[in-house]
Amino acid sequence: MSSSTVEYAVRRNPEMGPHGKPVASPTEPFDAPEPELGSQTMLVNVGPQHPATHGVLRLVVELDGETVVSVVPRLGYLHSSFEKLGEYRTWNQIVTLTDRMDYLAPLIYNCAYVMAVEKLMGIEVTERCKVARVICMEMDRIFSHLLWLGTWSIDVGAFTPFLYAFQQREKVYTLHEALTGARITTSSTRIGGMMADLPEGWTKGVREFADNLPATLDEIDGLLTCNAIHVGRTQGIGAISAEEAVNHGLTGANLRASGVPYDVRKDRPYYDYGSYDFEVPIGCHGDCYDRYLVRMEEMRQSVRILHQALDRLPDGPMDVEDPRISLPSKTDCMSDMESMIHHFKLITEGIPAPAEDCWFSVEGSKGELGMYVVGDGGPKPVRWRIRPPSFVNLSAIPKLSEGHLMADLIMINASLDIVLGEIDR
Amino acid sequence: MTSDLGSGGSAPDFGLVAAGGRKGHDPAPDTAEAGNVPPVNPSVTALRRQFPDGVLRNRVCAGDQDVVHIDSGRVAEILRWLHETPDQHYDHLADVTAVDHGGGRPIEVVYQLWSIPQRSALRVKCELPLDALEIESVTGIWQGANWLEREVYDLFGVHFRGHPDLRRILMPENYAEGHPLRKDFPLRGRFSRAEQTRRALTQDPEDYYMPGEIGERTPQVVASGADDGDEAKASGAGAGGEGEADVL
Amino acid sequence: MGVANPGLPGAGTPAFLTTRLDFVVNWARRNSLWPMPFGTACCAIEMMASAASNFDLARFGMERMSFSPRQADVLICAGRVPYKLAPVLRRIWDQMMQPKWCISMGACASSGGVFDVYSMVQGIDTIVPVDVYIPGCPPRPEGLIYGLMMVQEKIRGESLADHAALRAEDPLGAGRPRAGDEEVADLTGPFGNSTDQNRVSGLVETGAIGRPEDRLP
Ligand code: SF4
Repeated sequence: MSSSTVEYAVRRNPEMGPHGKPVASPTEPFDAPEPELGSQTMLVNVGPQHPATHGVLRLVVELDGETVVSVVPRLGYLHSSFEKLGEYRTWNQIVTLTDRMDYLAPLIYNCAYVMAVEKLMGIEVTERCKVARVICMEMDRIFSHLLWLGTWSIDVGAFTPFLYAFQQREKVYTLHEALTGARITTSSTRIGGMMADLPEGWTKGVREFADNLPATLDEIDGLLTCNAIHVGRTQGIGAISAEEAVNHGLTGANLRASGVPYDVRKDRPYYDYGSYDFEVPIGCHGDCYDRYLVRMEEMRQSVRILHQALDRLPDGPMDVEDPRISLPSKTDCMSDMESMIHHFKLITEGIPAPAEDCWFSVEGSKGELGMYVVGDGGPKPVRWRIRPPSFVNLSAIPKLSEGHLMADLIMINASLDIVLGEIDR
Repeated sequence: MTSDLGSGGSAPDFGLVAAGGRKGHDPAPDTAEAGNVPPVNPSVTALRRQFPDGVLRNRVCAGDQDVVHIDSGRVAEILRWLHETPDQHYDHLADVTAVDHGGGRPIEVVYQLWSIPQRSALRVKCELPLDALEIESVTGIWQGANWLEREVYDLFGVHFRGHPDLRRILMPENYAEGHPLRKDFPLRGRFSRAEQTRRALTQDPEDYYMPGEIGERTPQVVASGADDGDEAKASGAGAGGEGEADVL
Repeated sequence: MGVANPGLPGAGTPAFLTTRLDFVVNWARRNSLWPMPFGTACCAIEMMASAASNFDLARFGMERMSFSPRQADVLICAGRVPYKLAPVLRRIWDQMMQPKWCISMGACASSGGVFDVYSMVQGIDTIVPVDVYIPGCPPRPEGLIYGLMMVQEKIRGESLADHAALRAEDPLGAGRPRAGDEEVADLTGPFGNSTDQNRVSGLVETGAIGRPEDRLP
């Protein structure tokens, strides 16, 4: 296997057995046989407007006392019909929709989408563009994990890590803004390249961010990793075994916490990920605490990739030099008739794609992010489908939370790292 | 006044150079004779050997992606074989989705498979004619297919036989305009905006507790979360039945 | 109301007491607005950024985000609102106590934004009354802060004398659309490039039905 386990010097809660099964749960004061009261269960509605559901998720929970009997998630409260809208837009126009889907890691979505379309059209992007996209994707992986870390710590009852994490996020916002002009809705990729070349001094900013991040992570690490409340609320909660996790379609950190080293960057390398030196952290208990550790380690690994990518960023053109794909520069447009015509044709007609289909998946911040595009020879897709990682991850929540307490359900939900914009699309 | 905006006819003439003119209404060009293109993935050959009449044809898309068209009647059997045979071992069902090509052509149901130990990918497709949108569910093989199939049912109207809980997932339960991702569904929906707004507000935010949905037990109390208060409690029990009745 | 207090100009008129009282009440109200963050999508992330340390909404007396509508003064609707969420938004608005204000943050909440599609409310003003619209996709935190300051400005101009008129609510209107059918049609008409939204790829006959009103510019 191409990955190795990262050891943490944290003692497991002694009350937990292997696989996080509680040996003697501290929440069960006595072990008397339950009296026959003929009791009934109770339904509690959480959401859709509830701070702990991380968006407009709605969970209908059936409780027996305080123990969860079953959970029925209700989705669709943010269904914005991206896939339908995409069928009415040209290939390049869709880029603007992708970042509105996962607003926590917009650049990963921008990149994944254009990578799928480029594969469909058989376009090979330039070396500089590849490395630039790797930088963008790793930066946004950290960006997304930082928000998860903030909301996770709020759910566990600590507000300070949220503020620390947002301090770092503000730096990424600034980098986004320098690169694209927008803080969240970046829309920075184009088919065959990027919206523009990297601005001057941008790489220096990224390096500074990568240099400073570990200190913040250490700080948050110190606040949370061995914190008794945090450990007590997350160890052994929401555990899932490796086979079940695979069978439920879990991907990303949620799958790796169960010990399956499936990472698209390693297993199906794109953009020379095979040549970067990084490791894939995996857990061995599959519970909330392991998902936390895996994500923390992933951020550190992303910092490593960032440094390597910044070192190898080559000079040269950013966009492919094909007038049928890339827009000419503004100056050319204004001074050269040919370029003007290319510009006009590209904008009004779009780029035609072959009548084929193509599936391309990348390792998103939430899991395996797949893009499935079907062309018909025209400049608009017949179908644009997103495999939403958090949608599939969330579908395991009834299984994960069975038998846990109501309060644990909040932690399980937080540990899955969902984003509703992408679940409901 | 009839509008022909929806048809391709009124669209401006795209003088497509690279696409070689209009492909018009041709069906997607598959390799006519099966096996013309040598597959990249050895599973395709094995699959053909195992199910000579279950596999209709195969092709290679986007350079190196294997696509296998199979008989829609045998989907569960073939996918189970792919999942359980040791040297296939497609244990990760990445995606289940559907494609409507429009113009009355059959709807394709698409399964994306990935084998974590073998590191190989396979795309399996089944075609369903518009008047018989029914296919066997694969939830028995991969539990992760549950919501993905519900989504296909919701947006395309494909029925999955044997699915444990086939309800709409993204659209409201009582959505009456149809299945939105079908090509004959207009982008803005079938009803006027005013009608859509009115209908939206007649939904009761808590009318979807279906007692039957959560096991056989009857819930005792309907307690409330953050969005609904005391008056919700009062109306919650009474409104319970509304959602079930109107499912399309 | 006529309190005789000959020492001050204007004293003795009924307006004197009410304006002084207005001033005090409005000052208190506008500096301790408790927002009810109804955040759904990308704009909610910018709302969170506004609450974090860099932009620090607490400076405006808003450090307490009130997640319960019953203790909130201003509803910040940040993000897309699909039809499925519309009754929830309306109920939250109905549950808020008077006096209450509403901010529509972002293009989606104000007009549907890029999502002129079957599932999206085309502007929350068809559902609830809106006091301040903040443009942007998403608006920057500065934009949100400016919007909140405009709400404060609006409060400054209010008077207890017209309280009844300003704060009147039709109990029968609860849970109903704010706008009538015609106004909804008016507010949600297609604009910009949504006029060619019925143009599909051009190569495939889909048989989609275009609605006549979709052609209006
Ligand atoms: S206005 Fe833009 S940023 Fe805000 S919710 Fe809509 S798409 Fe997202």
